[in-house]
Amino acid sequence: MELTKNITLGVYLPGQSLIHRLDPRTKIISVTAIVILLLLIKSYYAYAAMLILLAFVIFIAVIPVGYAFRGLKPMLPVLVLMWVFQLFLYSGPSPKLLFTWWFFSATEAGFHMGNLITLRVFFLFTFTTLLTLTTSIVSLTDGLESLLNPLKRIGVPSQELVMTMIIALRFVLILAEELDKIVKAQMARGVAFDRGSFIHKTKKMFPVFLPLFISAFKRAEELIVAMEARSYTGGKNRTKMKTLHLGRVDLVAGLVMIVFSTLVMVLIISVKPQI
Amino acid sequence: MSIIVENLCFSYKKGTPFEKKVLHDISLTVEDGEFLALIGPTQSGKTTLAQHFNALLIPHCGRVMVNEADTQDPNTDLVALRLQVGYVFQNPDYQLFAPTVGEDIAFGPLNQKLPRTVINDRVSEAMKIVNLVPEIFLNRDIYALSGGQKRRVAIAGVLACQPQIMILDDITAGLDPRGRDEILAVIRRLHREQNITIILISNSMDEAAEMADRIIVMNQGQITLEGKARAIFSHLDLLRSIGLELPESMNLVQQLQERGLAISSVPLNLDETIDLIAGSFRKGQGTT
Amino acid sequence: MARLIEVNNLSYTYRSGSANKVQALNRITMEVHRGEILAITGQNGSGKSTLARHFNSLLIPTSGEVLVDGLSAADKKNIAAIRKMIGMVFQNPDNQLISSLVEEDIAFGPENLGLPAPEIKKRVDWALESLNITALRQASPNNLSEGQKQLVAIAGVLAMKPECIVLDEPTTHLDPRGRREVLDNILRLNREDGITIVLVTHFMQEVAHCDRMIIMEQGKIKMSGTPRELFRYPEKIRSFGLDSPVASKIADGLRKMGFNLPDDILLSEELADSLCQLL
Repeated sequence: MELTKNITLGVYLPGQSLIHRLDPRTKIISVTAIVILLLLIKSYYAYAAMLILLAFVIFIAVIPVGYAFRGLKPMLPVLVLMWVFQLFLYSGPSPKLLFTWWFFSATEAGFHMGNLITLRVFFLFTFTTLLTLTTSIVSLTDGLESLLNPLKRIGVPSQELVMTMIIALRFVLILAEELDKIVKAQMARGVAFDRGSFIHKTKKMFPVFLPLFISAFKRAEELIVAMEARSYTGGKNRTKMKTLHLGRVDLVAGLVMIVFSTLVMVLIISVKPQI
Repeated sequence: MSIIVENLCFSYKKGTPFEKKVLHDISLTVEDGEFLALIGPTQSGKTTLAQHFNALLIPHCGRVMVNEADTQDPNTDLVALRLQVGYVFQNPDYQLFAPTVGEDIAFGPLNQKLPRTVINDRVSEAMKIVNLVPEIFLNRDIYALSGGQKRRVAIAGVLACQPQIMILDDITAGLDPRGRDEILAVIRRLHREQNITIILISNSMDEAAEMADRIIVMNQGQITLEGKARAIFSHLDLLRSIGLELPESMNLVQQLQERGLAISSVPLNLDETIDLIAGSFRKGQGTT
Repeated sequence: MARLIEVNNLSYTYRSGSANKVQALNRITMEVHRGEILAITGQNGSGKSTLARHFNSLLIPTSGEVLVDGLSAADKKNIAAIRKMIGMVFQNPDNQLISSLVEEDIAFGPENLGLPAPEIKKRVDWALESLNITALRQASPNNLSEGQKQLVAIAGVLAMKPECIVLDEPTTHLDPRGRREVLDNILRLNREDGITIVLVTHFMQEVAHCDRMIIMEQGKIKMSGTPRELFRYPEKIRSFGLDSPVASKIADGLRKMGFNLPDDILLSEELADSLCQLL
């Protein structure tokens, strides 16, 4: 039983592909653009275009397809739940009834909305995962910091925000490993996590979440002290060892994204929304 | 109750690009009632192996039989198995969660759905064995305990399930000398008075020599040496080469041997070292 | 000034305003000499870490004073200067590393000091080399052993070029090999680079290598002197819940059997030499 096996968000898979070699700022801006587009998409055609881009990126980045989607496994129940909710609770512009169950009615509009929302989450998750798979945390935060730098002038604590992210990402894996150990420690005392009703199972998680919570807080406390001991006083007057440089690959990637985004925007505007 | 391991292999993150084989073709037997030490440098696979003994992990090849039940057999009740093969983790904070000592120790028996009176008996029994006086500690807040006390509560918590075998994973780590001695005394008691089979995982050769009947040395997922302490310790160069630090007393013996003193046997603890050196000396001087 | 750190009548109380206050330090007076390796030892709960954390202003005295190179450690104005001089390495390797890349983590300290990029890079190179971990430069701490992580933590502090490094039980969570690696490196930093070392520990094998040691119990200093002086009294040491170095215990046992050995033996090499001289 290995809990960390299916955690892919935050994991970095080193490589030499073109995607790996892009400047992190290019990747961050591209993913941001994709996220904005995803929030605007209301038709299956646009999602088809997204799928093509996704396949393209996975191919170029040389990421094993199975691994790219592995992180979705723990999310599956949530996705299914979301879909079911939409199916029964959304009626929208075309309340054509599909079937009824108990006192719930499933509508055609609900069906499409369910699909669209689930697809949206799917793409959001996979593109973000691809970002962290192909970009080391260090690169990511360098890129973010560089992009947010101009905001310093209007008082946004960009360095501190980025520092928070760096640390959070580093500790996702550490805490996941701890969760694994804690679960095993309680399994060793006879807790059967795989049996019992859903409510029963949730109650069983308390002996697991409490120690994890406490551990997370302890770690945070110790980390703060260690950072202060190394003279960390926030973002001002800090320098950076590394600087980022844009290259030809970034130019090409930028062009590709501009073309893609335009295409998707056209699809969004011209194709009749499904719901 | 014994454990038989046959041709066990195991990989972490199997099926992902990060797959790593950590156990290679391991075969061993844990005899009923023995005190076995599992030692080796870090990342040698000790914990991974031990977690197969109570089915926290399932083999990828080979098999593990606990009390003649195969851990891979769907008919084996793994939850019941885990109550018979207790596992105490290195960090008591991973296990302790209830508000008071008594409630935490009762957690195991509660999961076994035992009647309240039985649970209460088991809790106070377990506390006495680990030297935590029930009158004082039963309602003590677990966050008010010292590191050594927490460890004893963790052991009591597993003890209350009345296991026949107990696996103790690096449980003296981080303790000061007195805390360490206290825990080792408790472990000795578990073995001698409660007749529990003990599997002690440690990276300290000192501890293994001091406590165990039999030692298994692991390195990089394989068993390198196996046998009684004295036999194992005669392979000092091999042990050093795989990354185990020799006990300081053995370091001393080697230095004396290098300087020409003839010391033929291997001391397992401080007293033996003193006697051995004294003995070799007198022989060297012609007196016995 | 030969005294890098001066502590006078220091008392410290945790949660001083509340009902469950704990007096962790009780009128401590001691000093740290420039260039020495000082061991602060005692059982868990004796106040060792609490004392150490006053040296770089992580804790402020409840009463008494702490002077670092003449500067009052209680004065906020001095904190930046003091933390430049006094670096600190902590017990848990994971909870002091912030980055997922070793060289980035080592650069963290110098970056905080606002140094120019080329200087930072030079220091990172130097720190890696000093601890013999240049090969780990591009590694992720998640993939390192606990001992290696501690070496990275020490490198991170070293890169700030402190005068003194305080190590708060740095080897408690390490396996024997990791402990030896860290100890070897600490000794080398002191002997070759002249860095003052304060080592808080309960491992007597480590204390045996130090120039001076103090033993604490319940917030007070019970004994202080050189290891050679103090380990002459093993029963006293044991009464504080501590142990003696192995060579010292063996020498003791042999002396009781009539061997004429010096009474201040601490290390195996010394014992081996002395025994051979008797032959």
